[in-house]
Amino acid sequence: MFVEKGEAAEAWRTTKGTAVAVPGALAGWSLALKRYGTKTLEEVIQPAIEIAEKGFTVSETFSNINKDEYEKLLANAGEATVYLNRGLPYEPGEYFRNPELAQTLRRIAKEGIEVFYRGEIAARIVRAVQAKEGIMTLEDLASYQPLDVEPIHGKYRGKDIFTIPPPGSGLFLLELLQIAANWPIHTWGRDSAVYLHHLSEAMRLVFADREAFLGDPEFVSVPVDRLLSPEFARHKASLVQPARVLGNYFPEKLAEEKDSGNTTHLCVVDSEGNAVALTQSINHFFGSGIIPEGTGFILNNHMDDFATAATGPNVPAPGRRPASSMAPLLMFENGRLFLVLGSPGGTRIFPALSEIIINLVDFGLSLDEAIEAPRFFSYSQAGALRPLSLEPRFSAETIKGLEERGHKITLRKPYDTYFGGAQGIMVDRAKGLLLGGADSRRDGFGKGY
Amino acid sequence: MKNIILILASVILLFSFNSSGQTKPPVFSPPALITSAGQNAEVQMVAVLAKRAGISHTLNKVATAEDLSGINSLLLVLGASMKGLGAAGLDTTKEMERVKGLVAAAEEKKIPILCLHLGGEERRGAQSDEFIKAFLPKASLAIVVKSGNKDGFLTRLCQENGIPLVEVEKTVEALEPLKIAFNLK
Repeated sequence: MFVEKGEAAEAWRTTKGTAVAVPGALAGWSLALKRYGTKTLEEVIQPAIEIAEKGFTVSETFSNINKDEYEKLLANAGEATVYLNRGLPYEPGEYFRNPELAQTLRRIAKEGIEVFYRGEIAARIVRAVQAKEGIMTLEDLASYQPLDVEPIHGKYRGKDIFTIPPPGSGLFLLELLQIAANWPIHTWGRDSAVYLHHLSEAMRLVFADREAFLGDPEFVSVPVDRLLSPEFARHKASLVQPARVLGNYFPEKLAEEKDSGNTTHLCVVDSEGNAVALTQSINHFFGSGIIPEGTGFILNNHMDDFATAATGPNVPAPGRRPASSMAPLLMFENGRLFLVLGSPGGTRIFPALSEIIINLVDFGLSLDEAIEAPRFFSYSQAGALRPLSLEPRFSAETIKGLEERGHKITLRKPYDTYFGGAQGIMVDRAKGLLLGGADSRRDGFGKGY
Repeated sequence: MKNIILILASVILLFSFNSSGQTKPPVFSPPALITSAGQNAEVQMVAVLAKRAGISHTLNKVATAEDLSGINSLLLVLGASMKGLGAAGLDTTKEMERVKGLVAAAEEKKIPILCLHLGGEERRGAQSDEFIKAFLPKASLAIVVKSGNKDGFLTRLCQENGIPLVEVEKTVEALEPLKIAFNLK
C-alpha cells in the first residue's frame, strides 16, 4: 500500500490522506465511560470545551514542536489554520485558542459520538481525507468498534505489571524488564557503561522480536506466553556479551501459536483507589496536519504504524489495527496498586518506561527523580545495530565505556522530547500519599484535587 | 506597534553605522533563492515572510550552484535539524558539502548572501553551530531571533566579520528588516 515503484512512499504514510487511520479515541473513551465511569459524556467533556474556548499560554515545548511541524501544517491546513498564529508558528508566551474545536466538542456532548462516526463530522472527516488523496469512507468510520481487552501480565523483581496487549507494545516492555531482571543492575549503578550497555543490547534484541511478531492479534498470532516466559528472558539475557555489542539482532524462531489471550499520557488515581493509565495518540506531532473543515481537530497519521513490507505480521489490510508503541501500565506490590505509569514517545515508549521502573525499583529513586533521570535508547532494524541515543547528562566515563564496547553514540539534548514525556502516580501506603511524577521534557505536571 | 518601532530603529541604526563605517549598507534585490543550511524548519517560515514582504523568490531545500541561475540574492537559513536532515536523506557532512558549493558559487557570481537564524535557542548546539560558523561569515547581513544569541555567539561572529546584525524577538518580526534589506519600505 505504501510502496511506489519499489520505494517506500513516505508522504503516503505521514502527510497524505492515506496516512489517516480511523480515529478510535472517542469511541474508546465512550466505551470506558459506559462500562466503568460514573459521569456522562456531556459532563466529562466540559473541561475540554472550556480549555478549547478559553485557550492557554503556549509553552516553549509547544512552540518548538509547532515550528518543527510548520511545513506540514502549512501544506495541509494552510496559513489560516488555528494551529498557526496568523500563518506562522506560535511563539512561547503567545495565546492559543481553538473555538472550532470547542464547537465540535459541544456538538459531541449534545449529540453523542454518533455525530462523529456516522453524522456530519464523519462526513467532514471523509471529505478532508479524500481531498488529500486518502481512501477512507463513511463506512470505515461507521463500522469502527473499540475493544475492551484483557491486559497482559508480567513480573519485575516480585512486582506485578499489567499492561496493554498487542498490537500495543506492553508485551515488549515486559520482555525487556524480564530480561533485565537477570542482571545485578543495582550493583552496576545507574550511570555506568555496563548497565547502559546491557540494557541497550536487550532493547535491540527486543526490537528484533517486536519487528517479527507484533501485529493485530485479530489477524496474526502473537506468541505472548512464549515471549514472557522466565526461561525465554534468561535465554535472551545470556545472549548479551559484557564487553562488546553483538552487532546482529535476530528474532527467536518461535513456532506460531494461537494466543489465548505525536501521543500523550495521563494517569489518574481516585479516592477509591481506581486507577487509569491512558495513552492516546495522533502518531506524529500534529498528526497528518489534515483538519476536517470547521472542526478544529487534526487527523492522525497512524497508518504510518503499519509496516511498509508486503508481508509480515503488521501489513495494512482492511479492518486491521496497526502495531502501536503504547505501553500504559499498572504495577502492583503484594496485590495492591503501587504505580500507574505511561508515556508518549513512539518507539522510545517501552524502553523509557522500563528505565523509569528500573530507576524506581533497582536504584531507589523517587518517582519524579526516576522520570527526570537521564535517558538512553537504542534499537535494531532488520537485525542491524542502530546508534545508542543518550541525554548528555551521563558521565564522560560512561560514554567512553560504551564507545569501547562498540556502541555508536548519538548525543541529544539534556532533556530531550525524543525520549518521551512520562507521567506517573506512585502510591506510598506507609505515608498514605499519592506521589505524582511528571516529565519536564514535555511540559508534564501533577495535580491533586 | 512599539515593537515594530524598536525593530525599525535598530535596523536603521545598524545600517547607518555601517554606511558611516567601512562597509556599504547591504541592499539585496529579487529574485531570491531561499534555502537552509542544516535542513531546518525555519526555511519555510522565511519563504512565507518573503512572500509577505513581496520578494520574488524560489524555495529550494536542496539547492545547488545550478539553481543560482537568474538569482540576485541568496537567503540562507541557518541551523541543523536532525529530523529535516533525515527526511531529506542527508547527513551533516553531505549537507555541509551542498551548502559550501552553493555559497562558493554565489560568491563567485557576486550574489549577496543574507543569513537568517530564526530557530532561537532550540536551533543551537554542536551541529547547528557548525553550520553557523561555516556560513554566517559569508553573509552581507544577518537577521536573527534574539533567544538564539543569548551567549553572544552570533554577535561575535558578525563583529569579527564586519557583518551588520539585526536582532528580533520573534520570527514574525524578521519581516521588517527583510523588507528594508530589499529596499521595500
